[in-house]
Amino acid sequence: MLLVLIGLIVVFSLLSPHFAFTSPENIKVFLALAPEFGIIALGVGLLMICGEFDLSIGSLLVFSTFIFVRLSETNLSLLLVGLIIIGVGALLGFLNGIITVKGRIPSFITTLGTMMFWRGITLLLSRGIQRPFTSEASLFFRSVFTGEVAGIIPVQMIWFIGIGIFLGILLHFHRFGNWVYATGDNKEAARAMGINTDMVKIICFIIVGILCAFVAMIQIIRVGSFSSRVGQGWELKAVAASVVGGTSLMGGIGSMVGIFCGTFIIIVIENALTMLRISYSWTYVVFGLVIISSVLVNFYMEKRRLRYGSKVSEESSSG
Amino acid sequence: MTFPGKKEENILEEPLVKMVGIHKWFGKVHALKEVDLEVKHSEIVGLVGDNGAGKSTLIKVLSGVYKADKGEIYFEGKKVNITSPHDARKLGIETVYQEQALAPNLSISRNIFMGREPTLAFGLIDRRKMNKESLDSLSSLGLHLRSPDLPIVILSGGQRQGVAIARALHFKAKLVVLDEPTIALSVKETQEVLAFIEKLRQEGISVIFITHSLHHVFPVAERFVVLTRGEKTADVKKGDMSVEELTELIVTGRRLHN
Repeated sequence: MLLVLIGLIVVFSLLSPHFAFTSPENIKVFLALAPEFGIIALGVGLLMICGEFDLSIGSLLVFSTFIFVRLSETNLSLLLVGLIIIGVGALLGFLNGIITVKGRIPSFITTLGTMMFWRGITLLLSRGIQRPFTSEASLFFRSVFTGEVAGIIPVQMIWFIGIGIFLGILLHFHRFGNWVYATGDNKEAARAMGINTDMVKIICFIIVGILCAFVAMIQIIRVGSFSSRVGQGWELKAVAASVVGGTSLMGGIGSMVGIFCGTFIIIVIENALTMLRISYSWTYVVFGLVIISSVLVNFYMEKRRLRYGSKVSEESSSG
Repeated sequence: MTFPGKKEENILEEPLVKMVGIHKWFGKVHALKEVDLEVKHSEIVGLVGDNGAGKSTLIKVLSGVYKADKGEIYFEGKKVNITSPHDARKLGIETVYQEQALAPNLSISRNIFMGREPTLAFGLIDRRKMNKESLDSLSSLGLHLRSPDLPIVILSGGQRQGVAIARALHFKAKLVVLDEPTIALSVKETQEVLAFIEKLRQEGISVIFITHSLHHVFPVAERFVVLTRGEKTADVKKGDMSVEELTELIVTGRRLHN
């Protein structure tokens, strides 16, 4: 996975005219912009491991952005507004989760509904008009969300890596991670062993919601104006990123390193094709090929692993 | 097994579990009708009956998945109220379901400790402890696997049952309920599982072995309880009846008064 990623980066660097892909300007823009999608995709990957989907991320993002812009126009301190937005994101995620587990609706459908609902609500409230976001009073916010570390690395990238490490520890080393895997892998077993699988799922939805709200703030501060089209098309791209990273659509299989690399592959491809001056339409063609081929490769490697593995366990067992 | 002292003798006389007059309805279906079930210490009981006889329902009442509509449960002589799988587990009743016991893609040790992971600070899993204790439990069943990090999918059916039973063993179960543990297994694997069950008895653990194939349970169980259409139709010791007579009972559903 990591090799694929490095390979892609090398190939794109060599292919791009005047090495535009590796130009400092592009790298800087890329490192600032790509984490916006990437951070959310990490959460979506976690959610997929516990066996659920979230198609509403783009709409949660745009709705939180709108609320953030509106609240920042009031007298409330921006820090408070930020906390409120995180709360809004958590609440939206909670709603996705509670509807899914209590209504016993597949989350694919729940979040398809909330995807339309929250985008619609945002359009109604904003009347689809672009709205400037003036963040004069927010030096603190600017440096936290769009600043640079050591003068070169955009802070967004640090957030992306930091959140990746945090979720990785949560998933692989914390007991909650074991519950996430168990829930996605065999819900009945998890429940029989006393794991509250509904709660695990709801928490994963909440994590995605919080990440959406977080990205909403990063993005609006960078862009400076509200558009009701923000986040469109991210939902399937996030699923694609997880799948490319080896996450199973059925849940129970996947790793944070894989999801991180998968996300990176998707955003590198997107950026590189732009830098190669290839029409954006091609991006989707390439995404399509990457998704299908990576699933085939994963499937093949899984089969090989099983065949090899069962030999090992037979050799070493005795009744 | 001998226990010295008077107090222990009392414990031995009194059954580990006693279910009395259990009724369960699902809507209009009367799934369990006045069923009694007793399991003594270190006893292996075969719970047999045709499909739909109520075996699984009875066990789910005992393990807290369903609540009985009528009836009482006594554990070690005390009346207990089991309302969730958690309650049952706290008493020391571990149930191993057919398909539901293990998460196939998780490792052996993560399965054994699923939901009860040993932790260091901040809820981080104590991996070393988890792996070591997993291997210990498995080897006390006579199951030697190369690594506790192997995923369940690569194990054979018999080994999987072993992992599920090792889990019960590790958490100091007093009663292990096995729901059709041999259903999809080869003859060799079935023998393995029967050996695990024998090991459990040697550890002083009682076992309820649910099956509809009497031939699997006959070699290990000491007593057989037959359910037919929600009613207990027989409760016999192994010596009192042959396999053929017992099969006859299951098939005909004739009530045996003894």
